[in-house]
Amino acid sequence: MSHPYAQPLADLFPHLVPEIVLVLCACMIFVSGLFQTDRRLHHAAALASLFFALIRALPPVEPPTSDAAFAIPLLFDSLANLTRVLAIATGIVFILLSWNDMADRHAADHDACFLIIVAGLCLAGASNDLVTLFLALEMISIPTYVLLYLPRHDDASQEASIKYFLLSIFSSGLLLFGFSYLFGLTGTTNIAGILQVFYNAEDAKPVAGLAQVAMLTVAAGLGFRITAVPFHFYAPDVFQGTSTSGAAFLSYVPKIAGFVALLRVFGFVVPAAVNMPSDHALVGMAVSDQVPTLFWFLAALTMVIGNILALLQDNLKRLLAYSSIAHAGYMLVALTSAPYLSGADASTSGVASLLFYLIAYGTMTFGIFAVIALLDRPERPVETVDDLAGLAKSHPGIALMATALLLSLIGFPLTVGFTGKFFVFFGAISVQGPLGWLYPTLAVVGVLSAAAGAWYYLRIITVMYLRTAVKPIETRGAAPALLALIVCVILTFALSVPPGANWIMSAARETSERQPPLKAPAPERGLVQ
Amino acid sequence: MGFCESLLILLLALPAVGAIVVACLGQGRALLVRQISLGVTMGGALIALILAIGVAEHPSPAAQTTFHPRFVPGATAASPDKTTWNLIDFNLGRAVKTDKHAPKLGAIQFYVGLDGLNVWLIALTALLMVSSVLISWKAITERVHEFHAWLLLLGCAMIGVFLAFDIILFYVFFELTLIPLFFLIGIWGGPERRYAARKFFIYTLAGSVITFLGLLAIVVVCYQRGGHVLTFSIPELITTFNLLIEQADGIPRERDFYQSFQFWVFLAMMAGFAIKVPLFPVHTWLPLAHVEAPTAGSVLLAGVLLKMGTYGFLRLCLPLAPDASISLGAPIIGTLSVIGIIYGALCAKAQDDIKKLVAYSSVSHLGFCTLGMFALNSTGLTGSLMQMINHGLSTGALFLLVGMIYERYHTRKIADYGGLGAKLKSITFCMVFISLSSVGLPGLNGFVGEALVFFGMFETRKLFAILGTAGIILGAWYLITMLKQVFFGALKEPHHDGPAVEDISVREIAALAPIMALCLLLGVYPQPVLNSVKSDVDVVANILDRRQNLATAQAEALRLSRQAPREK
Repeated sequence: MSHPYAQPLADLFPHLVPEIVLVLCACMIFVSGLFQTDRRLHHAAALASLFFALIRALPPVEPPTSDAAFAIPLLFDSLANLTRVLAIATGIVFILLSWNDMADRHAADHDACFLIIVAGLCLAGASNDLVTLFLALEMISIPTYVLLYLPRHDDASQEASIKYFLLSIFSSGLLLFGFSYLFGLTGTTNIAGILQVFYNAEDAKPVAGLAQVAMLTVAAGLGFRITAVPFHFYAPDVFQGTSTSGAAFLSYVPKIAGFVALLRVFGFVVPAAVNMPSDHALVGMAVSDQVPTLFWFLAALTMVIGNILALLQDNLKRLLAYSSIAHAGYMLVALTSAPYLSGADASTSGVASLLFYLIAYGTMTFGIFAVIALLDRPERPVETVDDLAGLAKSHPGIALMATALLLSLIGFPLTVGFTGKFFVFFGAISVQGPLGWLYPTLAVVGVLSAAAGAWYYLRIITVMYLRTAVKPIETRGAAPALLALIVCVILTFALSVPPGANWIMSAARETSERQPPLKAPAPERGLVQ
Repeated sequence: MGFCESLLILLLALPAVGAIVVACLGQGRALLVRQISLGVTMGGALIALILAIGVAEHPSPAAQTTFHPRFVPGATAASPDKTTWNLIDFNLGRAVKTDKHAPKLGAIQFYVGLDGLNVWLIALTALLMVSSVLISWKAITERVHEFHAWLLLLGCAMIGVFLAFDIILFYVFFELTLIPLFFLIGIWGGPERRYAARKFFIYTLAGSVITFLGLLAIVVVCYQRGGHVLTFSIPELITTFNLLIEQADGIPRERDFYQSFQFWVFLAMMAGFAIKVPLFPVHTWLPLAHVEAPTAGSVLLAGVLLKMGTYGFLRLCLPLAPDASISLGAPIIGTLSVIGIIYGALCAKAQDDIKKLVAYSSVSHLGFCTLGMFALNSTGLTGSLMQMINHGLSTGALFLLVGMIYERYHTRKIADYGGLGAKLKSITFCMVFISLSSVGLPGLNGFVGEALVFFGMFETRKLFAILGTAGIILGAWYLITMLKQVFFGALKEPHHDGPAVEDISVREIAALAPIMALCLLLGVYPQPVLNSVKSDVDVVANILDRRQNLATAQAEALRLSRQAPREK
C-alpha cells in the first residue's frame, strides 16, 4: 500500500455498493430464470434491489478535492450522485411500465439485463476515466441488444435489433477512435487530467487542431445515443419494430448515458480538483468557440428535423421516435449554451438546464409510452394515432393523463415540459460573447419548431377527445403500468412548480457549480507530442 | 394579508376550485353543475366589484415612473407593491451566494395585483363569465360537467393574465387560456370545430412563443447590463430598462444597441400580441374560431381573450420597448389597424351569417383599440383602454343575442330572417340597443372610447384618424343593414320544429341586463372609470412622451448639424 493513490482507490468501494448490489442481483435473476418462469418473482426481485440501491444512493457523497481525482477512475461528485438517483428511479418506473410487456419465460433475462444497464448508467455518471466511461457505456449497450431482441421475433423486430446492434457497434468504434486521439494528445486517460492539460496548454495550436478531430468523433459516437441528427436514422425504425417498453427504454435511457458522457468528456462539468484559470471564458475542452458551434448545428438540425418529420407520421411509435429526436435537440440547446454560462455572474447554468430537461423528458416519454403499454393488445392494437380515437369516452382517466403528458411534451405551462423549456431557452438567450447573436437565433429556431411540434401532439389530443372510435378500446390496463403512468403524471405536475422544480433545479445546479479551489495547483503534465 | 389581498386570491382560486368540483360531479347532475357554476361566477363578479370599488376609491398617486399594483398578496409593510412569494428561485444550488460581488438573482414570483389598467378588464371578465354560464343553460346538453369545468378554468386563466405582474406568470396564464378554449371549441363547436380549434391553438401558440423569447430577452438584458440584478417583476423591469436606455442616450454605440434591441424585442412581442388582437394580416383564425365556438366561447373569446393582446401591448410592449413603439409601432401598427378597421367592416358587410358578421366587426373594432393605443399619448391610451371594455361589453352582448336567436331557430343566415321585431320584441330592443352602442352612438359607451381614440390620433397622425373615422360609418352601415334585414319589415321566420318560439326569458334577461346597464352607465357617466385609470395610463404615456421628445430633439440636432456645413 505504498502507492499514494492506493488509498483513494480503496475508498471508492463503499461508494459502489448500489452498483454491486444491482449487478449481483442481476446475476441471481439470470440463474433463477433457469428454474422459475414467474415474472412477478423476477420483477419483485429487481424492484427490491433497485429500491435498496436507491436508498444507498440518496445520501450525497463528498467528492474528493485532492489530487486523487487525477488518478481514480470514478469520481463521486454531485453529477454522479444525480445521475445515479435518476438512473435508479428510471429503473423502478421502467420495471413497472414493462411489467406485462414480455412473455413469462423472458422476464428473468429482461430484468437482469435491465439491472446491468442501470448499474452501467450509474457508472457512466461517475466516470472519471475514458476507459471506465467506455466500459460503462458498453455495459449499457450490450444488454440493450438482448433487451430489444427478447420480446418479439417477427421480421420487424429482428430488423430493429440488428439495425440497432450494427449502428451501436459503429458508434462505439467512433467513440473509441476519438478517445484514442485524446489519449495520444494528453498522455492520460483520466478525464480530470485531460482537462488540466487543455487548461495548461491553451495556446498550443496543434492540440486545438487535433483535439477537434477527437471532439468531432466523440460527438458523433455519443450523438448516436442521444439521437442527434444526423445520427438519428435508426430511431424511427427501431422504435416501430420493437416492443412498447423497448421503445420507451430507447427513447430515454441511452439519452441519459449520452448526455452525461458528453458532460464528462467535454468537461462541461469540471472536477473540483482541476485548476481552472479564472479568466478562462469557456469550460472544459471548449478551448475555442468550435465546440459550441458544433453543438449549435447539431441542436438546430435535431430540433427542426425531429419536429418536421414527426408531423408526417401516422404510426404512434414512429411519431414518438421523432419527438424523442426533437427533445434531444432542446437538450442540445442547453448543452450548446453551457460553456458560456459558467462564469460567476451567470444567472443560470446550461448544465443545470440540460439535467433538468433530461429529468423532465423522462417523465413525459415514460408516461406516454405507459399509455400505449396500457392499451395495446394483439386483438386491439394501438399502433397508429387513429387507434386512439374515442379514448376520452372509453378511458376518461387515461385520456386526461395522456393529455397532460402531451401538453408537457408541447411545453405548456404548469407542466414540467414548460419549466424545462423555460430554463433551456432562458439559458440560450443569456449567452453573451462573440457568437452571442447565434444564441437568440437558436432560441427562435427552437421555439418555432416546438410550436410546429405542438401540431402533432395536439393531433393526438384531438383524436382522443374529438373523434369517436370505430372499434372502441376495451382493454383494461395492467395495474403496474397504470402505476407507472400515474407516477409520471404526478411528476409532470409536481416538478413543474415549486417546491419540486426548485429541488430538481438546485440539485442540477450543484453539479456545475465550482467551489473556489482550496488546494495547491495540480501537478504539471506535459504534452505528448 | 389584508381583506382585499385575500379577495384577490379568492378571485383567482374560486373558478379553479369550482372547475374541479364541477368536473368531479360527473355526468348526470347537470342542474347542480349549472347552479354551482352560476354561484361561482356570481361570487367572482361580486368580488371583482368590491375590488374595483376599492381601486376606484384609492387611485394610484400621480406622476409615477412605473406601475404600482395594489392589494398584492405576500407584500410586506415596507414595500406594499412588491411580493415575497417566490416560485422558482434562481439562487438555489449556487456555490457562492454571500459574496459581496455575487449577482443578485431573484426569483419568478407569484406576483399579482390590481391597478387602473387591469381592474376594469377583470370586472369585465367576471361579468361576462356570469353571462356565459347563463347563456349555456339550455344550449349545452352534452357533457355538461366538462363544459363548465373548462369554462371556469378559462375564467381563472383570463383573470390570471390581467392580474399578473410577473412576466413569466403573465405568460403562463396567457398560454393557459388556450387549453380550455381548445376544448370548448373542439367539443361543443359547430361542424368545422376540429379544424377551428387546432388552427386557433397553433396560431396563438406560434405567436406567443416568440413573445416569450422577447420577454426573456428583456429580462436578460436588464440583468446583464443593469448591475446583475435578476428580476421578473414587470414594474421593476420597466424601471430598470428605462433607466438603461436613458443612460445609453449619450453614448452612440450603446444607443444603437438599445435601438436595435428594442426593434427585435418589439417584433417578438408583436408576434404574439398581434395574433391575439388580431391585427389585419394575422386575423384569419378569428372568424373561424368565433363561428365554430359555442355561444359562451364566442362571448369570452371576443369579450376577453382578444383584450389580452391589446392589454399585452399596453402593459408590456409600450413601456418595455418605447423607442421601437414610437419609430416602428406607430407607423406599422397604425397602418395595420386602419386596414383592419376598413377591411373588417367591409368583410362584415359581405357576410350572410350573423355570427360571422359580428366576428368581422370584432376585427374592425379592435382596430380602433390598437389605433388609439399607438397614438402613444395619454388621450389615445385612455381611449384604447375604454374601447377594450366597451368592445367587451357590446360584442359580448351581440354574441349573446346571436346565440339566443340561434337557439330559437337553429340558423344564422341573415337571409332566413325578416321582421323578427314583430315577434321577439324584447330581443329586438336589446339588439338595437347593443348595436347602437357598438356603432358608437353618443350617450352609449362606444362613443366615449371612440371619441377619445380619435382625439388621441388627431394629435399625431391625422390621416389615420380620418381613415379610421370612415370605419365608424362603415360600422353603422353593416350593423344597421343587418338590423333592418333581420328585425324589421315583414315577418319571415325560418322553418323550425319544436316548441313555439318565445320572447326573451328571465334567464336571458339576467345575462344581458347588467351588460346593457353598464353600456348606458359608461356612456353617460364614464368619469369614475377615466379617473381611476388616469395615473396608470400616465405611467405609460409619460415614458413614451419622454422618449418621443428626446427623439425629436435628436432628430432636430442631427438636422442642424447637417445644415451647418452647408451654410458655411
